[in-house]
Amino acid sequence: MLLNVKNDIREIDRVFTCVKEFCCTNGISEKKCFDILIIIDELATNIISYAFNDGQEHTFTIMIEKENEMVHVQLSDAGIPFDPLKGTEPNTDASLESRKVGGLGIFFVKQLSHFMSYERVKNRNQLDVLVSLEEEE
Amino acid sequence: MEITVKKDSGITVICPNGRIDTSTAKNFEEGIMKAIPDNHQIIISFLETSYISSAGLRVILVAGKKIAAMNGQLALAEMSDKILEVFKMSGFDKILKIYPTFEDAKSSFNR
Repeated sequence: MLLNVKNDIREIDRVFTCVKEFCCTNGISEKKCFDILIIIDELATNIISYAFNDGQEHTFTIMIEKENEMVHVQLSDAGIPFDPLKGTEPNTDASLESRKVGGLGIFFVKQLSHFMSYERVKNRNQLDVLVSLEEEE
Repeated sequence: MEITVKKDSGITVICPNGRIDTSTAKNFEEGIMKAIPDNHQIIISFLETSYISSAGLRVILVAGKKIAAMNGQLALAEMSDKILEVFKMSGFDKILKIYPTFEDAKSSFNR
């Protein structure tokens, strides 16, 4: 499935509907579908919020494919270069007072995925994420 | 997402209904922030919440800090397994009080 998404936060609603449909059609469990929704929501929201700073309308793509026991998600945008794998991780042991707000989105994607890779290809950010469909206990 | 706010035995109960993501987090934040000045004893019930992303957790962290600074109490209750998993993944289960049932959350308040 290939989605063309505008850099408008209202698009997230449509993305949710399409991802749920994809999971349903491919017999993916509700639990795994929740993980896939988090991954795509966090990454798409980042692109919508930060990739373009010219105030113009842009379109980026989200590709989702089931490959055996994996789901392959690929996001591609022509925004400013950004490698989400290079950020610092939040301190999940910090106290309430010292816990910093933010930085959780990419951390969730890393936690929920099996494999992630970033490449700048022809002036586009290309992020590939693999999600294992094996249910862990 | 819609938010219902009600009072129960002097505690403000906030119930977000639907999805808490970036597109709805602002609405969620406004609902909580509006309730805090009136009452520093707050329960957020996730019974009707189908989904939460980092944007939703950010709002809860900000609210938790604000309530703690006012010497108030915040209790979270009635999460589905998947929502609880998101809280655990973020480490928020170690800094916020999470109860399985609404009654458990209610009885945790100092009288």
